[in-house]
Amino acid sequence: MDFDLTDDQQTLVSSLQSMFAPYGEIPEEGRGAKSYFAADLQRKLVNGGFFHTAREAGNLEAALLVLEAGRLPVTVEAGASALVAPNLMANPPEGPIALLSGDLKKAQRMLSVARHAIVDTGDDVVVIPIDPENVEPVETMLAAPFGRFRTPPDLSKGRRLGAEARPVLHQWSRVALAAECAGAAESAVPFTVEYVKLRKAFDQPIGSFQAVQHRLAQCWQIMRALRYNALHAAWTGDPVRADLAATYAQMHVQKLVFDLHQFHGAIGITTEYKLHYWTFRLRSLQPETGGADGAALAAADKLWGAAA
Amino acid sequence: MEFAWTAEQDAYRQKLKTTIEELLPDNWTTDIAPHSYGSKEQIEYSRTFCAQLAERGLLVQQWPSEYGGGDGDPWQQWILAEEMMLAGEPRGPQYMNVNWIGPALMAHGTPEQKAEHLARIASGKVVWCQGFSEPGGGSDLAGMKTKAERQEDGSYLINGSKIWTSYSPFADYCFLLARTGEQKKAISIFLIPMSLKGIEVHTFPGLVGKGHLNQVYFTDVVVPESMRMGEEGQAWPIITYALRFERVSVARFHIGRKVLDRCVAQLQAEGRFSDTAVRVRAGRIAALLEAGRLLSYYVIDQRVKQGSDDVNGNIARVSVSAATMELQAFIMDYVPDALTGGDYVINEFFRANLSSTIAAGAYEVQLNLIAHGALNLPRS
Repeated sequence: MDFDLTDDQQTLVSSLQSMFAPYGEIPEEGRGAKSYFAADLQRKLVNGGFFHTAREAGNLEAALLVLEAGRLPVTVEAGASALVAPNLMANPPEGPIALLSGDLKKAQRMLSVARHAIVDTGDDVVVIPIDPENVEPVETMLAAPFGRFRTPPDLSKGRRLGAEARPVLHQWSRVALAAECAGAAESAVPFTVEYVKLRKAFDQPIGSFQAVQHRLAQCWQIMRALRYNALHAAWTGDPVRADLAATYAQMHVQKLVFDLHQFHGAIGITTEYKLHYWTFRLRSLQPETGGADGAALAAADKLWGAAA
Repeated sequence: MEFAWTAEQDAYRQKLKTTIEELLPDNWTTDIAPHSYGSKEQIEYSRTFCAQLAERGLLVQQWPSEYGGGDGDPWQQWILAEEMMLAGEPRGPQYMNVNWIGPALMAHGTPEQKAEHLARIASGKVVWCQGFSEPGGGSDLAGMKTKAERQEDGSYLINGSKIWTSYSPFADYCFLLARTGEQKKAISIFLIPMSLKGIEVHTFPGLVGKGHLNQVYFTDVVVPESMRMGEEGQAWPIITYALRFERVSVARFHIGRKVLDRCVAQLQAEGRFSDTAVRVRAGRIAALLEAGRLLSYYVIDQRVKQGSDDVNGNIARVSVSAATMELQAFIMDYVPDALTGGDYVINEFFRANLSSTIAAGAYEVQLNLIAHGALNLPRS
């Protein structure tokens, strides 16, 4: 067991961080928006072959890609392209990929920018191309692009992967969301820690108050756990590890978002500030794939057998 | 980064499992383990069990061979801790000897102290207690009042008292901290036999297991200079070293998972585990325990690479504490009969963890250490 990145893993992370560096701030045209989808960065990831990472290097390396992308204030679609699709099928579709489930009349994350969708129909997994003309963007405070079908998609024309693909879809969707949560937390928590060192109240930095320190220390612990849960789930390829990583991530979104916003005060809910790009991305991931309770239930089924 | 156990580690774990199964007596789960590892029954049994482990080269496998170990690494120590916890900790209090008293002696003891104590600890026949906490002291370790005053002949006269002091009624030695100067951190360490004149142990009842709650009085206890470990008044780095090992030394997440499994098994047997709400709670607790496991493993990886751990030990401790508290809540919500004559393993876990957020630095002290050590937040 070795928690340090190998040289190859470190090289991957370094190259990603170099590519991502210009996206550490929201571009001028996106300032003040509730979210900003970096289409040019998405293209760079595609053109650079980064979404072949799972096949060429491994799922842990692909999770590192998703995690690093999650650290950005801008949004890219990495989880489905880097982890879900390569583990589901031999010939993954072109991204961005939206992972759809539930009522397709409702708004879905990533749908407004997606070229393809992987749909969990409840008894099958279907891959469909997305006609941009058939999708309307949906306004939301969540920091991710959302869209809604103008008319329901014709799933009968999609590529059917079969019922046996559903557990695989769920597993890697959960690893992907856990990695993205880890990345968002790795930006949002230190960002808040630095803020409380500077922001003064009652003539003291608010970060000197023990009430603030203790809650941020808890957030820090959660952030560390998010990272290793996600990477461990990716490395093992064990479905129950994916469930547990997603459970942990989604059950702690409330704590992270509440505390990080609380210590920023009102500035944290202005869109000119950066915090919400991470915290409200976490919010957008909170209900994915059944949310914390769905993931916990899936874990319970695997650990102790399905309910009689 | 990779998370696999090596073939050697798997083999070592299997060897431990087999050994434990061979060594534990038939009445272990009925007459010994239910009394808790601070009890007279378990402490006395530990002298037999640890000696047998030592004979098989499994007690101090991770120690250097010059001190009777097998030149193993912290992973071996940790695998040992996990397997012993699963078995109900038949080492009793001797886990302390192995985990940090021995290593502290190796690093800071005189040749004479090493010669006197290390072979004895490695034999598995000696029991130590730790004299850290004091009445009214709580987590303010540096505020201790027990004094060790130098006498003209160079010896020390120790007066004061220590409290909680698990295992002290049956301990052979005490790893004692005492003040040797007026400055806050002017503290020294003494390795003293509990048989010295002037030491009295008073036991009082409590919610935790037998043998854990004691007060040790030191009245004009004469201690030769040769029993002081390290330089006078310079104990703080050694204490910090010891506390780091103590914080992440008990595999609570590991036994926690076993306890959760036992809770589920009971609920299944009683037809109560089909309730979605119960299943969700169990899944959530499994997630908390696994997070604690990985953060603890991170600490062990640090020990392998750096020889010690840092604030990540506090982070792991906080994570495991959070999981433990949730598991205790689960027990009370769904298998409360464990506390009223039911499953003794669940009961013992609940009881042993009443103090897990207090001992080795309270939960809040851990948060302070993270706030300053990892986040670099300003002090008020």
